[in-house]
Amino acid sequence: MNRRAACLVAGLLSLGLPTVANSIDISSLFSSIKQAITPVDQKEEEQIGADAAATLLGASKPITNAAVQEYVNKVGMWVALQSDRPDLSWHFAVVDSDDIDAFAAPGGYVFLTRGLLRHMHNEAELAGVLGHEITHVVLKHHLKELQRAARMNLVGTAAQVGMQEKGYNSNLDQQLMDKVSNATRNLYSKGLDKDDEFDADRYGVVLAARAGYDPYGLLAVLQTLQGVDPSSGKMQLLLATHPTPADRIAALSAAMEAGHMDIYGNQAEGQERFVEIVKLLPPEPVATTKAAPVSATKQ
Amino acid sequence: MKRSLFIAAMLLLALGVVQADSGTTAQTVVAGNMNDGPYSDANVVASVPVNTNLTIIERQGGWYHVRLASGQLGWVRMTNLRLNSAGSGSSGSSTPAKSSTSSFFSLFESGRSGASGTTATTGVRGLNTGDIANAKPNLQAVADLAQWAAKPDAAREFAKQLPAKAVKVDSLPKVKP
Repeated sequence: MNRRAACLVAGLLSLGLPTVANSIDISSLFSSIKQAITPVDQKEEEQIGADAAATLLGASKPITNAAVQEYVNKVGMWVALQSDRPDLSWHFAVVDSDDIDAFAAPGGYVFLTRGLLRHMHNEAELAGVLGHEITHVVLKHHLKELQRAARMNLVGTAAQVGMQEKGYNSNLDQQLMDKVSNATRNLYSKGLDKDDEFDADRYGVVLAARAGYDPYGLLAVLQTLQGVDPSSGKMQLLLATHPTPADRIAALSAAMEAGHMDIYGNQAEGQERFVEIVKLLPPEPVATTKAAPVSATKQ
Repeated sequence: MKRSLFIAAMLLLALGVVQADSGTTAQTVVAGNMNDGPYSDANVVASVPVNTNLTIIERQGGWYHVRLASGQLGWVRMTNLRLNSAGSGSSGSSTPAKSSTSSFFSLFESGRSGASGTTATTGVRGLNTGDIANAKPNLQAVADLAQWAAKPDAAREFAKQLPAKAVKVDSLPKVKP
């Protein structure tokens, strides 16, 4: 029996719930609470990840070009094989948006937008970005946040149960699921803790280097993003959920210098096959309004 | 030693390094040296003050090959530069030529598909915080991902073709910038 779960159940029951204690299904409540606060196994993580991935793909669906998707899956799997969780069920996809962003969900889901792919120059840059997202999965950044949110919501759910009539408990599991789903939408529109992002940058670079790529790819992408006019709106979500490119560049370049990453600077860049893949993307939409001059851009 | 390093660097260049899109410009954010090769012990060919405009030719590892306004060529550390907006990266030179009808079609794609519905550009498929906050789960799209998944052996073979070889690399320290 999990002690924290037992304490939480005991605590809830002592907080004004004794009269309904007999009318709700204690084992169901206990099971739900336990599920929310104990470390999940890989199967559960994959289920939570599939729900989170479904929400993300509900916002932007995968593009249909199989050659592009298979390419990104091969590169992504090769980078993921260098991580501490090579055996996860890794799924990568390019999603149908011209905006610039990338996402990870528990269990091995990694998505990046068509817009981000267009702003890269070679496979090493792609490997760096995928390495960043793979790190979020490996270190369970989103999983921990979703669990934390679920736990907080559960207290509210349990209190509601206490105020309801007999029979309400049959909806508890469904309520919990809905709340976890809301937590997913909330987390991905607000973002992770900034330290998680800085950690993902550093570890992502290491994964790309271990995979035999030029480790400066991620830094190069961040420099490219630093040059994108924020008023274009292309990075609204990215900037709302991540530290600024300037802060990430500063932290990452300091770490790379201290870690002597320059000795791997001559590793593979994979420009030729990357450029062939990008050619398969549909043409970029035509801008109808002029972007503000870049010289006025400060990040 | 320097000469052999330089020759090695030139050979690598000949084998094909990153070709940045022609016309990507940048400014120096700190003063620094411009070298005759992409490594710190190469010969210094110029001292470049802060806020110097230059054009990027290519990148190799942590160095950019650049051209000054004077036409002088050399290599500077990538973190000495801040890049200007040059539209997209590789697509800048590889986007298929627009057909005469492309702007016609774009008339029918009014605005962004995103929930916020801003119309800064035409035909742009957006993805903003509102789109995420209002997303309806698409479980079928998740199930469909399996069709593109790569088996580990296929990924290994693909890396070998590049070639990208797995190497041992230590974790990076957390350093205050």
